[in-house]
Amino acid sequence: MTFTLNEFETMGMKAARGAGLDWGIAEEAGKAVRWLAERNLPGAELLAELLTRNDGKCYDDLAPVSIEGIWTAKSGCLCPLIVGVTLADRAETLAPSRGLEIGEVAFPLLIAPYAAISAKVLRAPIELRWSGVTLTVASSDGFAIEGSDRDVFVSTAGSAQCRVLENSKVASSVVASVRRAIDMDIWNRLSAFAHRTYAPATKTSRELGAGSDLIDD
Amino acid sequence: MEQMRSANTASLLRSPETVMRLARLGSFHQCRLSFMRILLRRLKRERWLFERPVFEIDERGVGPAVYTAEGPERTYSLICFGHDLPPDQRSDRVIAHAWDSTFTLFDGVPTAADIERLSQNVPKQEAGRVSQSEITLSRANRSVRLFEHVVDRLANGRQPDTEQIEAVGYMMRTTAVYGSGKFGAVDREEIADRPEFTAPFQPEMLTVYLIRAYTLDLVEQMARIRAPETAVRIAPSLRRRFGVGNSTGLGLAPFIVKHPALFNNWIAAREEGLARVRVLPLATAGKAGSFRAWVARARINADTWQSVHEIQNEKLAMLKADLLRLETHIEVGTLEGARPWDRLYLWGEQNLTLEGQEQLVSLMLEPYGDLIDDLADRMSADEGAVFRIDGAMSLARLQEIVEHVYAFALKLDWAAPDNNARAWYVSEEKLEPRLGERFEESVEPYEQPLSPGRDAARMHKDIVVWKGEETVAAFLLHHPEHRHVARRAQIAARLPYAEICDNTISADMLPIDLLRCKLAFFGATHFDPRSDRWVRINMFQNAPFPDELADAEFDDWSYPLSPEIV
Repeated sequence: MTFTLNEFETMGMKAARGAGLDWGIAEEAGKAVRWLAERNLPGAELLAELLTRNDGKCYDDLAPVSIEGIWTAKSGCLCPLIVGVTLADRAETLAPSRGLEIGEVAFPLLIAPYAAISAKVLRAPIELRWSGVTLTVASSDGFAIEGSDRDVFVSTAGSAQCRVLENSKVASSVVASVRRAIDMDIWNRLSAFAHRTYAPATKTSRELGAGSDLIDD
Repeated sequence: MEQMRSANTASLLRSPETVMRLARLGSFHQCRLSFMRILLRRLKRERWLFERPVFEIDERGVGPAVYTAEGPERTYSLICFGHDLPPDQRSDRVIAHAWDSTFTLFDGVPTAADIERLSQNVPKQEAGRVSQSEITLSRANRSVRLFEHVVDRLANGRQPDTEQIEAVGYMMRTTAVYGSGKFGAVDREEIADRPEFTAPFQPEMLTVYLIRAYTLDLVEQMARIRAPETAVRIAPSLRRRFGVGNSTGLGLAPFIVKHPALFNNWIAAREEGLARVRVLPLATAGKAGSFRAWVARARINADTWQSVHEIQNEKLAMLKADLLRLETHIEVGTLEGARPWDRLYLWGEQNLTLEGQEQLVSLMLEPYGDLIDDLADRMSADEGAVFRIDGAMSLARLQEIVEHVYAFALKLDWAAPDNNARAWYVSEEKLEPRLGERFEESVEPYEQPLSPGRDAARMHKDIVVWKGEETVAAFLLHHPEHRHVARRAQIAARLPYAEICDNTISADMLPIDLLRCKLAFFGATHFDPRSDRWVRINMFQNAPFPDELADAEFDDWSYPLSPEIV
């Protein structure tokens, strides 16, 4: 089935929130899913996998313990959505001479939209690398990926590197088609997470919540 | 020029603390910058052409109809499906499953195959799917009170009763107009660069405008088929009294909180408009006369505005008294002399209720289209441009912003139950926003981020005890729960009218204030709340119909005409 970019964004946001991420991070997760869909990349699919894998884990286990040196989680894999916002928040600290070393991270492709935000801030292309993959995002919405689908969509990267490229090395602008189709099983998994944000109806809520009656005249 | 003008008006701009209060926002009236008026000005200026290539409505009101609007570059079509809805299924609630008529705004002119495809989906509304060639999705129910009365009268060769028209004001009431990527429709971003859609909600307003034409054609058709020998059309003098109703509940309320940059631009445009008028050194006799005429028309509007709700009736009584006071005040030479509009506005602050003050603001813009109307171009927003959090900002600066923007919230005792009484949530059953009682229902775990004041106060508490690196980035890495409100604070630091300076979860907040503000920007009139969280309105009442637009006065429709002019 196909969905609009707004539907991808809304679903990404609600699902991330439903899976327990804070509102602010969830809002950005929605934007990230949209960014990837706009470039014909399976952001929503990877998000469904990620949320399933991290279901029930708390933020402190998924966030970088320290941003000095290599970013690593307390134990296990970093969450790319948290790495992403942290990267975007710290865009100004990136420099061609000062790259960023990210430890073991889940679904590294999900970091790409946040790297794109940083590229806009710095007005310079940013390169993300992980095993078998080099992904470049330009400050002008363009992007380029080298690597096999298997590597690009990998569920865990042992490490990833992020660096600003010298302005001379501008990423080639790729005109991509929009990804609107998604497997309904995956969409339904996201829906199930999104569903957790909805309050079950009670007698009181039915009476109070909407505040309207059914009289029609 | 732009800069000079801004410099002159800057000192006259009303402060966010004055404007962004719920009670004031809930007293807004439509004005020149309302989206319906922006739309009709464009349609007229660009001489859009309207046709009705399909109209296959039977005696029960069933069948398809198509209305096309042809502009300089593109054509849009409202595709209508008339249904025969059993009375017991007719509900105002957004959550109904069947409607009297359903609609979509189509990008272009539909083929028979398009209409066939859409006939399988549009009548189902949320349960159907539309495609990238559709822009909006909407539905409407008949006003039981008026619809049958009009058909019956027309069929019998008589005109409908004016008192009954007055009491309702429309033949049909929409219960939702969906746009922007909902249910498969085209994403707003795809069409936002078309000149006709750059101002906010223009496709939605075009949809409603064409629905209005359909509702009159529908009753006339049903009357004609019912009694071909005797049926008459609605008299030209009565036609414009019919608008389109709308019934709106909490679904709309969160929008202005969720879109702070956009909301800022709406308010900022109107405030700049007011300041541009206040700064004028003189009012010519022509402008003063024009203003007096608008005040007289606003009085007629207030007189025909009916509500069944106690709160609104109180406000209406105040509005009527205010308008009387205003009319008397401007009779005695107060529009002569220096800075007459500034003096008038300041007089209003001292002498009128909020309802009257905001009516005055809207009326002061009326004579000055040449000075005001360009502000319509500033009312949309590139929300993506302000979305990113500036992590390099110092925490001290964020604290300063919070203490300025959310000063109202830092003064409140958030442990007091009354300040925390409500929680916004989305119900599983209806997937619609709801307002719950935090201490009476178990809705808190599902709370939506629609209480910026409370959230900012919480963040402030953590900021003042923060011992780590002094940047927003470091703070948010450890306090991700404040991320959404840190974003809002940074947006509000740049855009002064982005944030409502009131508690949106207090025991005494009125959701209808949020609804009224948004609907006034749409251009709605005759707000008629049915409870503290549900309101009926009228749209496009008194507007020229598509076939009259070319010959109508320019943007002169939004208040009723004085009887002596008619």
